[in-house]
Order: sequence, then structure tokens, then C-alpha cells
Amino acid sequence: MSSRRLDALDETLAKLPKSVSPERDLWPEIEAQIQAERQLKPAPRGLASRWVQLAAAVLLVVGSSLVTVVVMRDVPDETRSVAQVEAPRPETIAMPASFAGYRLGEDYLKARAQLDAAFEQRLALLPPAAREKVERNLNDIRAAAREIADTLAEHPTDPLLHELLMSTYQSELQLLVDVTHMTPAPATRVQL
Amino acid sequence: METSETVGGTAREPSSDELLIAGARRGDMRAFERLYRMHSGRVYGLCLRMTRRPDAAEDCVQQTFIRAWRNLSSFEGRSSFATWLHRIAVNEVLTQARNHGTRSESDETLVAELDKEQDGDGPFDAADVMDVERALHSLPDGARHAMVLQALYGYSHEEVASMLGIAVGTCKAQVHRGRRLLRERLGLPEAEL
Repeated sequence: MSSRRLDALDETLAKLPKSVSPERDLWPEIEAQIQAERQLKPAPRGLASRWVQLAAAVLLVVGSSLVTVVVMRDVPDETRSVAQVEAPRPETIAMPASFAGYRLGEDYLKARAQLDAAFEQRLALLPPAAREKVERNLNDIRAAAREIADTLAEHPTDPLLHELLMSTYQSELQLLVDVTHMTPAPATRVQL
Repeated sequence: METSETVGGTAREPSSDELLIAGARRGDMRAFERLYRMHSGRVYGLCLRMTRRPDAAEDCVQQTFIRAWRNLSSFEGRSSFATWLHRIAVNEVLTQARNHGTRSESDETLVAELDKEQDGDGPFDAADVMDVERALHSLPDGARHAMVLQALYGYSHEEVASMLGIAVGTCKAQVHRGRRLLRERLGLPEAEL
């Protein structure tokens, strides 16, 4: 009978000890390390410090992007409309399309494609310096997202990294939306 | 050992753990030591079978409890404390394997280590235990990891897949492969479908 044979293997395995004592008591070393960490810093976070650094980097990037948005809001309309001279554009970085075994949802990708088209149209109307700054900030956000996604690939179950990556996606979207809404629509024949 | 045998890797009545965890969160090292004394045997057994090296298993146990201490505040009690510890331990084992490779100790050293203690139910021949440990030891890493967690420590395929960072289907395939190899090596008859 197959079930009896399978049971024989399971019974054999069930007889093995689940609990095994190490050769020596490991507690003194564990306690010493914990005590050392407690004395060094009140909130020790060995691995977490890397995430905190990443978070700080993203916040910095998002912060500078918001500054760009504020600066551009102050640019007079006539200055925006003369933004016809092509400035050299930095190499575009794309956001990661998948991370830690997940792929971005179709709804996101669809909305994203529409927003990208509108963004590109509006971006072309900006003065070269402002355009360059927006593109640089966008690239910084995307580079940060890639770095987080790479780290997430190494630590796929880390909830802080998931949260950080989601917030970076949101920051990128917010920048696209802000630029799209802030700049004037392309001049039409009627307006001219 | 002080641990009790239950399904799913749970080694202790949750209420006891909860009291000790609450104490440890308040900074009570004695409470945390008590948790260590209660759970370290199972964590070591798991690490030893996964790493196949007593020194590597000891490192993993130490890192597991240090990380557990650091992250006690994030333990939400959705799984048992033992399961939470085992997840950390598996992560440590996999990290160590990535960083230092998977060089294993000789069969004799490992089996002698594992043979020191036996908490299974009922009479069992020590030679049989050594044979089974040796057969487990000889399995390829993927099959052994899945077998140790699923067949020995009682985790579901879903839990094992999550712990090892693999697909559930892959986990099932590894367990199937492990069982087949174990049957061959232990001289047990093939299962009939």
C-alpha cells in the first residue's frame, strides 16, 4: 500500500530529534553582543541602518524635486513659452518594471503610459534649464527606485523596503503629475 | 530539552512566550534568556540540518537571537514566536550559504552531533537515527532544506516556500525529490501512486 509506505518514511523522520543542544552554551556571547549594542546606541539597527540611509536618500531626492516644482511655478508664462531651444537631455533612466518577484499592475502601466505622453508634451515647453532640472530629478528618483529594487531582491521579505519602493513610485508619479498640471498646454492656432 | 512537540514548528504554549516577549520588550534580559533557553534547541537542530556544519549552525543561532532581540518590537504575534524565530534562522542560513558557500562537515561529525539528543516518541534504534540523519545529510541543498522544514519541522509547503524564497511548486518538487532520494538511500520501497 502506498500510504503505508509513505507513512513508513514519515514515521522514520518523526523519530528524529527536533531539538538538539549545541556543543557549548551560546547565550553568553549573544548576551554580550546585545549588551554592547544597547550601550553603544539606544536604538540599534544593524541592517536597518542601510534602509534608513536609503530612505534618507529618497527623501532628499523627493525634496529636491519638490523644490524644482516650486521654482518652476514661479517661472513667468512667457519664459515658458519660449522654451523652444533644445537643451542636451540627460540619458533617461526607467523605473524598474518588476521587483522581488512582483510585476507592476496593468492599471498602473496604462495610467503611467498616458501620463508619460502628457508629461513629455509639457516638458518640451519648459525653458531648457528648468527642463534639465526636472529630468535630472526624475532620473535621481528612478535611480533610487532601482537601487531599492535591487536591495529588495536581496531581502524580498523586508516590509520597510517594500514601503520605501512604493513611496518612490508615488514620488515619481507625483512629479510627473505636478509638471503636467503646472505647465501651460501647447499653444493652439486659436490661441495664437 | 525544554521544548514540547507540537505541529507547525510551535515549541511552546503561546501564553508563556507572550509573557516573556512582553518582558523582553521592556528590556528584561532574563526574560529573553528564558526565551533563548526554550527555543534554541529547535533553532539549532534546524540550522544544523540545513548548514550541515556545527560551527555554522552555532553562528546562525547566535545571529538569529541577536536579530530577534533587535526586532522584537516588530513581532506581531500573527505566527508563533517559534515560527518567527525559525524564519529568521532560515534567513541566516541562506545568507551564510550565499556568503560562505555550503561546505559541509563530514557525515560522522554531523551525525555524532545529531545523535547526542533524541526527543522522538517511543523506542528507536540509535543506528536507525544515524542512518536517517546521514541520508538527510546526503541530500542536495534544495531538497534537504525543503525536507527539513516540511517533513521534519512540520511547516506547510506555503510556509516553506515563503521561508526559502521559492515558489510553492518548487518547494513541492524539492520535497518530492527529497522523499524519493531518502527512500532510495534508506532502502524503503518506492511509493505507489
